[in-house]
Amino acid sequence: MSTEPTRILVWDGAVRLVHWLMVILVPLLWWTAEEGHMDWHKSFGLAMFALVLFRLLWGFLGTWTARFGPMIRRIGSLGPYLSKLRRREPASTFGHSPLAALSVFAMLLILAIQVTSGLFSVDVDGLESGPLAALISFETGRQFAEVHEFNFNLLATLIGLHITAIGIYHFLLKEKLVGAMLTGRRSRADFPVAPETKNRPPRSSMLAAALVALACAIALLNFG
Amino acid sequence: MRRCKSLMIFPTLASLALLSACGQNAESDADSRLANVELPGGMTVKEQIEARQAHLKEIGKAFKTISDQLKTDSPDLPQIQAAAALVPKEAQGMADWFPEGTGPESGVKTDALPVIWEDTSDFNAKVVAMQDAAAQLNTVAQGGDVAAIAAAFQATGGKCKDCHDKYRKDD
Repeated sequence: MSTEPTRILVWDGAVRLVHWLMVILVPLLWWTAEEGHMDWHKSFGLAMFALVLFRLLWGFLGTWTARFGPMIRRIGSLGPYLSKLRRREPASTFGHSPLAALSVFAMLLILAIQVTSGLFSVDVDGLESGPLAALISFETGRQFAEVHEFNFNLLATLIGLHITAIGIYHFLLKEKLVGAMLTGRRSRADFPVAPETKNRPPRSSMLAAALVALACAIALLNFG
Repeated sequence: MRRCKSLMIFPTLASLALLSACGQNAESDADSRLANVELPGGMTVKEQIEARQAHLKEIGKAFKTISDQLKTDSPDLPQIQAAAALVPKEAQGMADWFPEGTGPESGVKTDALPVIWEDTSDFNAKVVAMQDAAAQLNTVAQGGDVAAIAAAFQATGGKCKDCHDKYRKDD
């Protein structure tokens, strides 16, 4: 008889590391921008760029719960999922719920816009600029900076929604989500439907995605 | 009942919109009066504000050119020199760009803070410091030593910031 483990891997190490590094970087990026520490802002921004790029690659190469394909298919069952929540029935999903999948796509889109606009941004004095701003005019760079500034509000809103959602799940739906993002694991008994995958991270893909992200960040660093 | 309630909201919204439109009109009338006041130099308040913004934007563009070039491995000296020559020219007469009445109270969109006209002597001193630094940057740029240009560029940028930190609205 094989003994099934009682705790199973939901979030692989890469997903968790990227998530928590972003949690650290976003406030740092906000603060360095507010205080005008632009050298730090640019370094942290490049780190964020690498994280976003890695996460996008990991959405194609990563574990089942990290991949975009299964997440998109999940969104199809948004209706039934929401009515389950309304009836307070156990609705835990292995990986992203339909609602969480939507949130991930929104968050990644906004983060991608934020890092990309940052690469091309120019400050109003023409003194500070992103690593790719030399490719465009002052006026265009200013427009990127406007996008960068406005889009941050969208990012802050999404983060607010994310934290609120975790609170609602924790207190109203009695589903504790933070622990799993720290340890990666949840009790198998949490899921009404047994997961169909071991969710083991493919190491060579992880290395490849990390190297590509790192190489791009270093190229940007050398560019400007 | 429910339908009635939701329909009721339209007249309410419409009247609110009308009210706010009236308010805006009254405000912009007063604004345009102050904006069109003629200054001793002959320009209107609005023209003066737009003129200084145009000069400052040219300086911003020149700075971007210099900054872009300094970032590359082999900076294009003629480009840097042309841009550096432009800065003192564009900054000429800067202290006169801020006559009384050209602050935010004019209703014209400006980031100039009222403290400019409360602490005018300090403001003027900072303007002169920037102009001196810009002249120095131009001299150094024509010399062609990239490291010295980078240092002079940093110094000039610092003088810009000295003023902006205190006298310009944070954006």
